Amino acid sequence: MTAPGRPDALAKARGEVEYATDLTVPGMLWGALVLAPVPHAIVRRVDLSAARALPSVVAIGASDLPTLLGDAHGDPERPPFPTAEVVYPAQPVAAVAAPSLARAREAARAVRLELEARPPVPDLETIFPEWPGSEASRSPHVAAHVHARRGDVDRELAAADVVVAETYRTAGVHQVALEPHACVAEVVGDRWSVRTSTQSPFGVREDVSSILGIPEGSITVEGTWVGGGFGGKGASLLEPYALLLAKAARAPVRLALTYREEFLLGRSTLPMVARLETGVRDGRLVARRVRLLLDVGASLPGRDFATGYSIGFLLGPYRTGAFEVEGYAVRTNKPPFGPHRAPLAPQAAFVAESHLIEVARRIGADPEAFRAAHLWTEGGTTPLGQPVGPFGLPRALEAARARASEWRAGLPGGHGVGIGLGFWSTNTGAGGEARVRLEGGSLVIEQGEREIGSGSVLVGLARVASRRTGLPADRVRVEYRGTAEAPFDSGVFGSRTVGALGRAVDEATVTLLTELGRRLQGTAPATLAVEGDRLVARTDRAHASVESLLTADERASGGLKASGRHFGAAGGIDESLVVEGSFYPYQDFTGAAHVAEVAVDPATGTVRVVRYAAFHDVGTLLDPAGARAQVEGGVVMGLGTALTEEAVWSEDGHLRNPDLVDYRLPRLGIVPSIEVTFVEGHPGAGPFGAKGLGEPPIIPVPAAIAAAVREAAGVHLTQLPLSPERVARAVKAAQPSRPDDAARRR
Amino acid sequence: MSVGSTERTLCVNGRSVDLREVPADERLLDTLRWRLGLRGTKEGCRSGGCGACTVLVDGYGRLSCLALTHELEGTAVTTIEAAHLDPVGSVVQQAFAEEGAVQCGYCTPGFVMAVTGLLRDPARDRPIAELLHDLGGNLCRCTGYVAIARAVERARERVR
Repeated sequence: MTAPGRPDALAKARGEVEYATDLTVPGMLWGALVLAPVPHAIVRRVDLSAARALPSVVAIGASDLPTLLGDAHGDPERPPFPTAEVVYPAQPVAAVAAPSLARAREAARAVRLELEARPPVPDLETIFPEWPGSEASRSPHVAAHVHARRGDVDRELAAADVVVAETYRTAGVHQVALEPHACVAEVVGDRWSVRTSTQSPFGVREDVSSILGIPEGSITVEGTWVGGGFGGKGASLLEPYALLLAKAARAPVRLALTYREEFLLGRSTLPMVARLETGVRDGRLVARRVRLLLDVGASLPGRDFATGYSIGFLLGPYRTGAFEVEGYAVRTNKPPFGPHRAPLAPQAAFVAESHLIEVARRIGADPEAFRAAHLWTEGGTTPLGQPVGPFGLPRALEAARARASEWRAGLPGGHGVGIGLGFWSTNTGAGGEARVRLEGGSLVIEQGEREIGSGSVLVGLARVASRRTGLPADRVRVEYRGTAEAPFDSGVFGSRTVGALGRAVDEATVTLLTELGRRLQGTAPATLAVEGDRLVARTDRAHASVESLLTADERASGGLKASGRHFGAAGGIDESLVVEGSFYPYQDFTGAAHVAEVAVDPATGTVRVVRYAAFHDVGTLLDPAGARAQVEGGVVMGLGTALTEEAVWSEDGHLRNPDLVDYRLPRLGIVPSIEVTFVEGHPGAGPFGAKGLGEPPIIPVPAAIAAAVREAAGVHLTQLPLSPERVARAVKAAQPSRPDDAARRR
Repeated sequence: MSVGSTERTLCVNGRSVDLREVPADERLLDTLRWRLGLRGTKEGCRSGGCGACTVLVDGYGRLSCLALTHELEGTAVTTIEAAHLDPVGSVVQQAFAEEGAVQCGYCTPGFVMAVTGLLRDPARDRPIAELLHDLGGNLCRCTGYVAIARAVERARERVR
């Protein structure tokens, strides 16, 4: 017996699934990267001679690229190895391969680096301790600038009854997929092939092509099983190095990160500072200003996506009067910014929600009623002028408020209840294509994505075809194809797999059913059913076995085939409001309201999550068990962002906690009971009106926890994570000083 | 020279492994994965922080990344590849699959072995919260542990 809906579960529980870290091929060499020991330096010399003197060692650096790549010229802004300057700690400066991992490590240590250290920029606030104003646009540290506004914010603030100005800070967080990055590369003639753990095989192919300058047609990427992604495996990381080593060695090369390296050079989400100013008149939001400084590490200028997307989440899903949002992507000597499950949205929701709770308290309003009164509703518009589509968050909030009232009745001392809202949009703008194939006994979906764990590929895509055809789950199978064979798809990210690739599957399925309907002389597409052992197609006019409807050619070539594609279009934003930079429209409108009950120990600052309830707008629920699992996993990941997870950077630019002991993840003992409720009936961009659910569950968590901590301990924290130290300090600061303290001070 | 140095072995999944072929500083994790080809045991952090490499040594859970293979001379090591042959192990595997406790699956072999070790112990009849607390060294990033906790309870009911 296997789990309903997870064809991979038992094989994984038996350790039979092969991940990229498990791959070996005959004649394989082991690769290792040589990492810069400092965050910022001028490269004087990379001396590979001692490494090359070791038996059977291949070593490569920047100077070998012309030999290895010949006429190919990669993007000069993205060289695999730095030629002039190291710009982040642990930046790869050379790579080696050897017949054993021990020899490869020895060779990596033997590479002599002559680096001239330069003072690093470790933190955005060392560059911009205050809001920089317009001169920042000319700073070499600014990678992107976004700015939009409507109305006269200054005038509205001046006329407001109450103005609340606050500054928030959030920490960098790692994805911490348990499987480190790994791949095996081989170059034969002009075929560059890599098997890798990735959320986007086609994205890796495009990256490799851009970095090495090899045409995409010469590159084959085959995805392996993926041991967790969470955004960290969406772009290439090791593949260019493994391919270059394989080319130099004329042998297959395995390259994998150690977990310490995973922390050091993985692309994680970095800190931000957000300044908010909000004016209220007659109990209504009349003016809001949001100013964002986002650390994007060593990201390339002009290539920042995060600032323009994330800044909208700092306003939250609320109607507002005049507003101004302005943000700078600030370059520091950290690894380039990378997406982490709903990039920056959990942090932004923490800021937006905590701030509006503070605003409500200052005007004596109920924080939950205040948010409910301003929440977007279907038919309204976003601040940037985009019409709000079907939106279940108001109903989710209503349900959350009811649950919060129940929990508040009879709450023990030291406990508090809080509600956090999070808004999101399924990224169906990133498109994809799929094929379906109808055999005599089953429907097969052929596509180019590997299952990364959420079930969106193996279960989600199958559910779409199952629902469309009428076939039971065990008659629909999802097959993976590498980039050489698969139809294009953007990747498993942005909560888009079912929403966008699923639409392509659905279109292919409808095309196939339409063809069957035609063959049955029907007026509508056929439906499918199982009769005995075989599949039967039906229309209003006739029915027949699928086998009998296939041509001889089709029977010989694997069945009746059809293909579909989906590239989503979004409603536009009002471009007249944009002063500078790129803002992104939403594909649909989804979100969740979460309720947390916490207990705070005022002495230690420890926050214990007692119980938790999540109310999610899902549009249409396609896979109840899988959806529930996504929410449970997202909530607990969010507890890490809320309470313990923080990449700690030293003043000299080094990551201080690159391991799983000092970077603290949620553990089994601390997880509360989690109630999960879905709100249906507000259709999204996905098939049958489904909305993405990979990212939304993490978004409201830090906001909900912070709101509950505020109620439990009377402290208003403006920095993530809400570590015991921060909570304890805030509790202490909020306590009226005792007479003896006062006496001592005198 | 140590006693019995001519026949220094440990037993992995019922098979004898000659320690004379294993370097003194080799970790059990590497012996299993690269010397014996038993790559169902997963390599995570290699520093005892994630639990992905948990195996059974004489029936009890142990982190194979922190054990030198030579330290385990004379013991019986069970890895995920043989877990289904163990009456408790096969129940745990089924329970994980049935309860949706498996997503990306990278932590799963380590979890299965750790839970199997706990449930083989007569002390398995402790309060469930204690058992779950004892699993705090096994990290999972996908499931939020909720389904894993359900799977542990279900497996315990079946092996009692």
